[in-house]
Amino acid sequence: MHSQPRRRALQLLLPILLGALGGAPSALAQEAGARAREPQAEQFVQAAAQRVVSVLADRGLSLAQKEATFHQAINELADVPKITNFVLGKYARTITPAQRQQFATAFRTYAEGVYQKRINDYRGEKLTVTGSVVRKPGDVVVNTTISGGQLDQPVAVAWRVLGAQGSWKVVDVQFKGVWLAITQQQDFVSTIDNAKGDIGVLIAQLQRDAQRPSASR
Amino acid sequence: MTTKRYEGCSRRRFGLPALAAPWMILAAPATALAQTDSPTVAPANAEPQSSSVAETPYDPWHAANRPVFAVSMEVDKGVIAPVAHGYRRILPAPVRKSVRSAIDNLGEPGTVLNDLAQGHPSRAGVATARFAINSTVGLLGLFDVASRMNLPYHESDFGQTLGRWGAQPGPYIYVPIVGPSNLRDGLGRIVDAFTDPVSLLTGGVTTTLGAIRFTATTVDARVGADSAFRALKDATDPYATARSAYTQRRTAVVQLATGEAEVLPDFEPAPTAPSANTAPSPNPTAVPN
Repeated sequence: MHSQPRRRALQLLLPILLGALGGAPSALAQEAGARAREPQAEQFVQAAAQRVVSVLADRGLSLAQKEATFHQAINELADVPKITNFVLGKYARTITPAQRQQFATAFRTYAEGVYQKRINDYRGEKLTVTGSVVRKPGDVVVNTTISGGQLDQPVAVAWRVLGAQGSWKVVDVQFKGVWLAITQQQDFVSTIDNAKGDIGVLIAQLQRDAQRPSASR
Repeated sequence: MTTKRYEGCSRRRFGLPALAAPWMILAAPATALAQTDSPTVAPANAEPQSSSVAETPYDPWHAANRPVFAVSMEVDKGVIAPVAHGYRRILPAPVRKSVRSAIDNLGEPGTVLNDLAQGHPSRAGVATARFAINSTVGLLGLFDVASRMNLPYHESDFGQTLGRWGAQPGPYIYVPIVGPSNLRDGLGRIVDAFTDPVSLLTGGVTTTLGAIRFTATTVDARVGADSAFRALKDATDPYATARSAYTQRRTAVVQLATGEAEVLPDFEPAPTAPSANTAPSPNPTAVPN
């Protein structure tokens, strides 16, 4: 009975005390909120990314159903051709058309397997948009949190979205300060570098990895 | 604006545990950057000319780093990972959560010092209030009561402080067993270890408390890093992947302190049809690293 008002008093008092120390505790959040937002990109992420999260959290689906639905949800969410081109880094300029086609197929299979697993590590149920930042027109980072499910606390996930009116697509996703497509690019470029520029080596490795029965543990 | 390297980062811990608490490649707890809402991303008006190629981390010592990485991964597989997995199996989640809260709590005084050194007195105020509340009401830090009072957890370290005042990360270093680092952040961890108020008051790892803290920090950090370790297994070049992730994270951590915008590469449209400029030649720019 008594604890409730006391706690409320403490909640009121603390910001005042902290304010005296030099500022409000939520200064960081305010900095982020002060910049321009992009409601359409936010709505897109809310819908399309929520679909991906829901597919992964859905225990009612069989593995095959999950994979098929995930594939479809990724098509709606992500700009697959752009990402495929991006992860090749400097080699995007030298790859042959035939290799490009091989790479696209191998990368798609590999990435779906890997990211399905990885997102499973962060299995949550509810995606909430917390804001967005317009980097430049048509280039927006949408900040979200994923919560519920097996998560004991919300996880912050940022989505880089490119596009314009009504047509947005995700090109990169950030957890804990790390962008996945950038990391993937540096992984692949280093692999090709180590093979003295032979893109075929990377393609072969991706094809091999995709055949491996789940390497999740 | 100078081009920023993707710097590194670790889930650093103050005190001697900082030297141990390792592999924190991606190991940061979800909270470390979470509560700040990715403020590292800002309008790109000051961005240098666009490029679709992310800058490769500066790694002049890769010839030494790669074998150290390989051996460390084997040691992890044989010794450290089994210990961490055993810890996770034996102790129920609420107990592990309390262990983590207690470790985090002992790091708060060090965070306060670095917040002040970075010129962020309000953040220092939050860490101070958290330490006071969690050490008392939170029963010696076992319960993170402060988070529920709108005082979210954050970490600040001396590598970040150096970055805040303009220090570049310098060469990437893979420290045996301990994990990825760079010159600036490695030095930062040593300074953090020697200036940690809790260690100064209670003694370092040679004391019982220090040894318990060191061990708990190490095991907790490895458990936290488990999904990162699994992600490394999927990489085509795990060394480059760990380096990239660590470096990006450290960049993000420093940008939390500076408030600067993150420099991101561009995504160019993919060629739609077979194009003319795709000569099938070996690439002259290939540099093994």
